[in-house]
Amino acid sequence: MDKDIKLRVKNISKSFPGVKALDNVSFAVKRGTVHAICGENGAGKSTLMKIINGIYKQDSGDILIDEKVVQINNPIQARSLGISMIFQELNYIPELTIEESLFVGNWPKGKYGNIDWKMIRKKTLELLEKEGLDYLPTIKLKDLSISDIQMLEILKAISYNSDVIIMDEPTSAITQKEVEVLFNKINGLKERGVSIIYISHKMDEIFRIADEITVFRDGIVVDSRNKDDYDMETVIAQMVGRKLDNSYPKENVEIGDKILEVNNLTSTGQFEDINFYLKEGEIVGFAGLMGSGRSEVMRALFGLDPYESGEIIINKKKTIIENTQDSIKNGMVMLSEDRRRFGIIPVRTVKENVSLSNLKRFIYGGRLHKDEEIQTVTEYCNKMNVKTPDIETIVEVLSGGNQQKVILAKWMVTNPDILILDEPTRGIDVGAKYEIYKLMVELAKEKKGLIMISSELPELIGMCDRIYVMAKGRIAGELDRENFSQKNIMLYATASSNEKEVEV
Amino acid sequence: MKKILSMILMVIIMITMVAGCSSPSTESGGEVEGGGEDSNGNGVYRIAYIARAQADSFAAWLANAVMEESEKYDDIKVDVLDGQASDDTQNGLIENAIANKYDVIIIQPNNGEAQRPYAEKAVEAGIITITTNARIDGIEGASSVDADPYMQAKVNADLAVEQIPENANVVVLNGPPGNFHADERRKSWENEFFAKRPDVKIVGEEIANWNKDEAMNYMETWVQANDKIDAIISMNDNMAAGALEVVKDDPKFKDILAYGVDGTAEAVLLIKEGKMTSTSLQSAYDLAEALLSTSHKLLTGEEEQIDIDIDCPLITLDNVDEYIEMHKKAGAIK
Amino acid sequence: MSKYSIYFVLLALFIISWLANENFIQPNNLKNVANQISVGTILAFGQTILVISGMIDLSSGSVLALAGVLSVSTYVNTGSLLLSFVVAIIVSVTCNILNGLMITKFRTPPFIATLAMMTMARGAALLYTRGQNIYQIGDYIIFGQGSTFGIPNPIIFLIITLLVTAYLLKHTIFGRSIYAVGGNEEAANASGIDVNKTKMKAYIINGIFVGIAGIIFMSRVNGGMPNGAISYEFKALTATVIGGTSFTGGVGTAMGTLAGAFIVGFLDNIMVMVGVDSYLQQVVRGAIIALAVIYDIWAKTGKADKKLRSAE
Repeated sequence: MDKDIKLRVKNISKSFPGVKALDNVSFAVKRGTVHAICGENGAGKSTLMKIINGIYKQDSGDILIDEKVVQINNPIQARSLGISMIFQELNYIPELTIEESLFVGNWPKGKYGNIDWKMIRKKTLELLEKEGLDYLPTIKLKDLSISDIQMLEILKAISYNSDVIIMDEPTSAITQKEVEVLFNKINGLKERGVSIIYISHKMDEIFRIADEITVFRDGIVVDSRNKDDYDMETVIAQMVGRKLDNSYPKENVEIGDKILEVNNLTSTGQFEDINFYLKEGEIVGFAGLMGSGRSEVMRALFGLDPYESGEIIINKKKTIIENTQDSIKNGMVMLSEDRRRFGIIPVRTVKENVSLSNLKRFIYGGRLHKDEEIQTVTEYCNKMNVKTPDIETIVEVLSGGNQQKVILAKWMVTNPDILILDEPTRGIDVGAKYEIYKLMVELAKEKKGLIMISSELPELIGMCDRIYVMAKGRIAGELDRENFSQKNIMLYATASSNEKEVEV
Repeated sequence: MKKILSMILMVIIMITMVAGCSSPSTESGGEVEGGGEDSNGNGVYRIAYIARAQADSFAAWLANAVMEESEKYDDIKVDVLDGQASDDTQNGLIENAIANKYDVIIIQPNNGEAQRPYAEKAVEAGIITITTNARIDGIEGASSVDADPYMQAKVNADLAVEQIPENANVVVLNGPPGNFHADERRKSWENEFFAKRPDVKIVGEEIANWNKDEAMNYMETWVQANDKIDAIISMNDNMAAGALEVVKDDPKFKDILAYGVDGTAEAVLLIKEGKMTSTSLQSAYDLAEALLSTSHKLLTGEEEQIDIDIDCPLITLDNVDEYIEMHKKAGAIK
Repeated sequence: MSKYSIYFVLLALFIISWLANENFIQPNNLKNVANQISVGTILAFGQTILVISGMIDLSSGSVLALAGVLSVSTYVNTGSLLLSFVVAIIVSVTCNILNGLMITKFRTPPFIATLAMMTMARGAALLYTRGQNIYQIGDYIIFGQGSTFGIPNPIIFLIITLLVTAYLLKHTIFGRSIYAVGGNEEAANASGIDVNKTKMKAYIINGIFVGIAGIIFMSRVNGGMPNGAISYEFKALTATVIGGTSFTGGVGTAMGTLAGAFIVGFLDNIMVMVGVDSYLQQVVRGAIIALAVIYDIWAKTGKADKKLRSAE
């Protein structure tokens, strides 16, 4: 047997009632390598990772560590075998401090069974220093950014001396700069002989970081090769089972009149003096680093946050937006970047989520018109291609992409003129991403105006007609299609503040 | 920094409290004995009346009666303090009253044993201490005014021994367990009635916590489960009235007998209507009158220690008018 | 199947009770149980609406007493049943508007706001009556002791409030809104739901129910009792939670709450009927409540897990 294999999965099958989630799956992860796993949502990646982490039990097949069969019954056992997992949806306790969270459930004990806080402080400082992270151990998690917290999760995994670290979509919530930090970290881990299982939808990242790639589809392993034997199109084709001709289905749509104009919008401390416009059929991008105020502007525009001064003109009419009811009434809706927090009602059904923003359409004359609701919701779910057993399913159990489509369907029911999409494709698999792009084009053709905020520059460049770049709470620049390039965007995003000062 | 500051503040507060608790004992002497007039200068004695709970209707009635009665004394001023049916609260109030140097502390205990050490503290501090409804027995130097719960039930039980038919089915409604009056009254019924009438069968016995609505619920169920119920034996009038509420229009239970204790306005009206059989009066007025006169006697040094029980007259159809008058005067009946 | 788990608990309890005592099944006994649970269940419908929307009312027992004694007093002084009914509703709705204002305008957590109201309302009831019960309330008892078409009035009120609650939850924008607000307040707001208005309405409806419950309670006990219905809010919450309403919000039905109320009602009834020791009764009551909820959660999560997996 190959000595270099750290973790081997052999002939694993797993069924859930009505579904064969994994069918005789085998692959091997070598010591000190990054093994990327690709596949659309529902392909069985998460199920397999949960089996490796001891959350689920396989129906048949074995897991081998160092070529020895092991039984993993729960995550604690997995941890003791050297396996740690960093989940996509980070679960953390906002009130805990960094040092508390690093050792939660694993407290070093003092002589009398008390928690040894001195030891914790010492170890925390050691870890932070070793990993070159510049945090105070007493900062609360709620005061950190998502990427900081993710770094801490990785730190935690390292502190367990794990040999295998599973990372599920680790870059879905962090900025480009932080991705670089993460990749450096991963390379460091590799050198120490740690094996990384890296799950991601982002092809460019996979091709940068992975040594080997395994592609899943519908519960089976389609193929497993060295990175050098793969190219991006092949991976995508294997994932979706067909070849995608063009990753951005952008079409040229006739641009009409201005439907939205924002003048001098200001909210002190968040953003200042924001001026932009949007025309019918146009897709306008908003780029900028995290903290540049992109989302804040859109939240204020949509009525989620207050603004101090400025003018909003919708369809040539000056409009005052105090809350979301005002903007929805005026045909403007927003898909939030945090769909769990601002998008879905997790415990309610697909049907109720979809009809939520336009209940008047189904509840009138003193009663609910059930059939109309079912018909309309089904229609929009089909249009958005929402994959759900039925519309009475609880939204919580759907995959991220499908939840996103449910939210889109909800907004479509209100028949809006203006759609603000804040990171619409974050954490969504390639197939679903493509569907959302296509939908955006369809909407543009229907003369709707779209605003798209994204951290993924290729996506903005591929989809937009114009791009505004924000930096430090101001609009730093505006780019036309002919001037689109990652370099131009980054130039504005990083250097803008000086230029602005010069202008003023 | 803020954390440290607040910690220091807390420590200071704690120290002050500990110090504050221990200080009164040093200055407690026999100064109150006959010195009440001096300490206030204006010749008015201050009485702290610590009620069990203003939310308990008898306790509230008694507190009101004490206030009314105190109007008759020029040299007495009563402050009513609410124990909120909590031992903790009540004990705290006793401590405060001691610290406030009242001339008299009247305690209507929530739970006699829980208040005993605090009543003893009041005596130690040289304050005239009276326990009432129910009394706390055996505190050296403390006085008491009470109605005897055993007797209250006994006068009814004596009547019931004669009235309740042979081989009768009865239901029993109890007050909250651990309550002195509840336990004594039930004991009295046991000794004075059930021991003498072995033929009588208890077909239902529940704790209705002095409450009318709970008694109703139990009675409704008993009526379903039993074809024949001859008598309702209740430890207070409220529960008896609740049980009667269930059967009042049922011809099957036209002749049901019902016994209570307290002599509430509702009970005397039910007796007048012929629905309830008897109750014994625990008169808040009598208690209040006795409390004030006892206080006065002790304050003026006329006597050193007094333990008295007020009467518990039996109320039946024969004499009910007299008590209806009493309630009318008090405004409880129109 | 699991959606109906609580009804199976109810059915099982019903059958066991029937086997334990033949009188249990008597129509009169069943009517009694319905009568007895009416006050608590009407409160529970209000709680159901509030708990679904992520809130709670700890003041319902006290507000019931305040509304009840003022209503009784109104009747005794004016002789008008209609006026006394209106007074109860107005008093109770006013208290609940104050609850709602504390929560929506001053951002007080519902637990604290209604806890404050619990103390205030009880105090006001005692203050008004000086702690004394009001007797001789005459025809006022018709609300709680009278019948209409042979059906006891409390049961009629129970049915009306059940239908109103079920209708509000299923057939109104308000109903959908409270599920959304309780399920995820921020998402509801971002979806264009007026969260504060929804919360306010929930308290107002709760207020109407509490007022009705107050009238029935006082009428059933034939007196204005300022100490009445102490801790009834917990009775109501028990029925609500057993009935499957989630304390985390967003989930619950009127029928479930009714089933929860009947579970408690039947249990109390059968234990008294077969003469279970009164101390033991409390232990059993607690244990059965725990078991019912455990079974319900077990049945539900079992299903949720399956769904989760199949969707993956």
